[in-house]
Amino acid sequence: MLHTDAHITVGEMLRRHGISRRGFIKFCTATASAMALPPEMGVAMADQLRGAVRPSVIYLSFQECTGCLESLTRSFAPTIESLIFNVISLDYDDTLMAAAGGAAESARDKAMHDNFGKYVLVVDGSVPTGAGGGYCMAGGRSAEDILREAAKGAAAIVCVGTCAAFGGIPFADPNPTQAWPVTAIVGDKPIINVSGCPPIPEVITGTLLQFVTTGKVPDLDEHLRPKVFFGNTIHDRCYRRPFYDQGKFAKTFDDEGARNGWCLYELGCKGPTTYNACATIKWNGGTSFPIESGHGCLGCSEPGFWDQGSFYAAQSAAAWGKAGEAVPRKVMEVAAAAVVTGGALGVGSAGVSRMRQRRSEQDAIDRKSDGG
Amino acid sequence: MGVGANLAPAEKRSHEAQVAGAMSGFARETGALSAFRLESCIHCGICADACHFYIATEDPQYTPIWKVEPFKQAYKREASAFAPLFRLLGLKREVTADQLAQWQHLLFDSCNMCGRCSLICPMGIDVAALIEQARHAMFEAGLAPAELYQKAAHQQLTGQPESSAEPYRDKLLAIGQQFGVEIPLDKPQAEVMLCVPRTDIEHYPASVAALARVMQHLQVSCTFRSDGLVAENYGYYAGGMAWQRDISRRLIDQAIACHASILLVPECGHAYAALRWEAADLYGKPLPFRVLQVSEFLAEQLASGRLKLRPSGTGATTFQDPCESARKGGVNHAPRALMKAMGIELHEQKNHGGFSFCCGGGGGVLDIERAAPLRYRTMENKLREIDDTGASTFLTSCSDCRRTFDDAKTHFDWQKTPQSLLELIADNLMGAAPRT
Amino acid sequence: MDLLSFARGPALKVALTIFCLGVVWRIVGFALLRIRLDRSPARASVPKFLAGGLLTIGTRSWPHPEFIARTGAGEAIGYSYHMGLFVIVLLFGPHIAFLGSLFGFTWPGLPSSLITVISVLTVTLFLAVLFRRVTNPVIRMLSNFDDYFSWFITMAVMATGIAATAHLGGPYQTLLAHHILSVDVLLVWFPFGKLMHAFYIFPSRAINGAILARKGATS
Repeated sequence: MLHTDAHITVGEMLRRHGISRRGFIKFCTATASAMALPPEMGVAMADQLRGAVRPSVIYLSFQECTGCLESLTRSFAPTIESLIFNVISLDYDDTLMAAAGGAAESARDKAMHDNFGKYVLVVDGSVPTGAGGGYCMAGGRSAEDILREAAKGAAAIVCVGTCAAFGGIPFADPNPTQAWPVTAIVGDKPIINVSGCPPIPEVITGTLLQFVTTGKVPDLDEHLRPKVFFGNTIHDRCYRRPFYDQGKFAKTFDDEGARNGWCLYELGCKGPTTYNACATIKWNGGTSFPIESGHGCLGCSEPGFWDQGSFYAAQSAAAWGKAGEAVPRKVMEVAAAAVVTGGALGVGSAGVSRMRQRRSEQDAIDRKSDGG
Repeated sequence: MGVGANLAPAEKRSHEAQVAGAMSGFARETGALSAFRLESCIHCGICADACHFYIATEDPQYTPIWKVEPFKQAYKREASAFAPLFRLLGLKREVTADQLAQWQHLLFDSCNMCGRCSLICPMGIDVAALIEQARHAMFEAGLAPAELYQKAAHQQLTGQPESSAEPYRDKLLAIGQQFGVEIPLDKPQAEVMLCVPRTDIEHYPASVAALARVMQHLQVSCTFRSDGLVAENYGYYAGGMAWQRDISRRLIDQAIACHASILLVPECGHAYAALRWEAADLYGKPLPFRVLQVSEFLAEQLASGRLKLRPSGTGATTFQDPCESARKGGVNHAPRALMKAMGIELHEQKNHGGFSFCCGGGGGVLDIERAAPLRYRTMENKLREIDDTGASTFLTSCSDCRRTFDDAKTHFDWQKTPQSLLELIADNLMGAAPRT
Repeated sequence: MDLLSFARGPALKVALTIFCLGVVWRIVGFALLRIRLDRSPARASVPKFLAGGLLTIGTRSWPHPEFIARTGAGEAIGYSYHMGLFVIVLLFGPHIAFLGSLFGFTWPGLPSSLITVISVLTVTLFLAVLFRRVTNPVIRMLSNFDDYFSWFITMAVMATGIAATAHLGGPYQTLLAHHILSVDVLLVWFPFGKLMHAFYIFPSRAINGAILARKGATS
């Protein structure tokens, strides 16, 4: 398990694990490059990290499925990623840490106290406020309480996963637990949203690493997501784009178009409106991503993606009904009602017009007229 | 576009009364069909390209659909589906008396009612029908041009558009004497009732004689009727529907009185339109006789073999299709069948048949003095087209067309003379004694 | 609710409702005015004049030889951009998917790159049409708010559509939202302006053609 040797530098940890300086620089350069930072930054990063006292990281999990943590730990090169855990001092994570109960809680409190103002708070899962916070409690305290307190001493808050960033699945209609994203609870700290359901492992680690080494929040988009990973849509980088441009769409799963790798737009791909790095960094160390495997993008890194209608309805489809409702039926109902109402109004206005006509003719007859 | 003197006499109405008259006049006729036509206009302006007033002057105000603009506005404001909303929100202005005064010139001076605009509209709107409706409204406003109003009033009262030294009945008999042809008059019973254009009585008596001669040659049981002699309908020109009806009634009543099965319309386009296509509606029920233009009648006689014609030897000939009987009335085939039977070498104008340009005198324009300069401008193109055919003989089957071209002959020093198709037929009846 | 969901959801529902209601209201509103039957005997038989009417639907699409010298260019531009509009609206993949979602059936389309070419041509023609409306004295005199606004909203739909497909000028969601919103506005405007000619044109040609054919008149 992870040690919290607060006084060991990263360089010392690396040496203990048999990682050469050269090997570490290679890693940092690769990470820097993935973040579109210049290669020299890699060296600087490495030097900085090696000399750094590992910053404290508190990882809080609320209404979540643990998928985000699973993603993070399912990283391709465990030796490198687990080094990251030794680069940071993960002082609290209720899934990974050995301690439980009161011991775990007091370890967190101590870390928060000792590193007040300097620790990085990582949050996954949404925060429910329904039933007085009763939907998610740990140690007799509600998620909301825990979050508010932890936020006080955080240098920054990294919301991992769409639940923490935007509310995610608990937030989806009808939101029975009255779940909220972190940004709805905490307002006065730098917040970075690393959304995705789950996010790509390297996106999580890259963001953490960037903050830890520079102490600065990276460029963020309007949803507070790092632009370096969330600046382009899947559509912008999708290798099937030429098929979209040619209008070659798969109509059903496993039809000829699908087998020929045609665009999945008509099968509901939300690529055009989804910002993430799946099409470039991909998953499982660059093995593949959903579209490459033949399934359209769900849009899982976007706010409210659960409530955008069917995952299998094309992007341009009308968004009237809830997912699963037959829109043609609804359209016919609404149109029929409108036609009947319009017809009635037409009968009314024709009636008014004819009455006015008659009145005007009567006036003409009453008026003395030479012309007849 | 002055008003003042052009207000029909005794129509010194207040502005409110004028507008009210126009609106009620227009409203009366605005049924589903007119409404549909007014709704369909998409402001493409293509109708201008059919109208010889626009073509001759390039003045956009002569755009046919623009001639009904106040009435289109009125329709939208008063009778369209959203009219209550338009009125409530003040989105459409009311028509003013000034507007109506301005539009008198557009509707009467610059429109021959020729119907060419109805052929060109991509939306299929019968623009000429809307103009006719608008003219009715103008009449009710007291804004029919004086010349037309006066003639309509006189004809409605007396049966003649103008008074004459001798009543037309007597003139008719005199023509018979002059040309040595029997004039059947006031027979109690006849198959065919005849009438004449007053233009022929006044200016082309040979045509009257020709009509009588041809009927005699064919041994058709026919008669003129003193109380229903004049073919033209000035009520139609002026836009006064009640007077149009009364004027048509004379002919209808006389045709019924002599038990005619055919009312024969002489060479006059507007007379045909008024009788063949409008009289029954004004009368209130289907007419108990056929209405035929003389060319139609003679073409039927030709087809059945009863009429035989000699070659006329007229050389290269061109023909003026009267708008109201040809393009608008459907008498397209008959004149040409008759000309063919006379072995005529027909050289068609560039715009001929249903697409022919109006002579320029139709719709009452010939009678409106102040419209003459504008009329002459439109005729320049027409005369050129006739000359371009290389024809030496110029035929028509409408006395008002003939009058208009004669007037142009004087004004332009034009070389051709308009001749009557009926006269030519009368001169070339096979089996008839040659005329002295 | 974000702008795109609004545009595709409640805004679209309201727009389609107003469209259906308004169109029917407007047509019923004048169709129920008085109808006058013609008492003059027809020249043509009933089948002939019905056929005449139907024929006019087609024949009015091509100017008669007597008129074509003067009207040919303008009509060519007009018909061309209409054809462009039909092709774009009905044969572009995402549009087919959209209409399919509303009505329950789809049909084959054209390659999107071809649609892009046609869109650019159509927009160019549409700009030419505005230029003509403003500079030609006849058309300028006839024009009112309806003409200019109908032009504007149709152009907005096309321009936002091109921007969305080409991802020009902002994040895709916003561009798509603008496009769908402009369609919503067009649908709401439709019953109140000249766009109704889409419903009028064939019946108008048929009815007026039939009336003329009944008389044996030229049509």
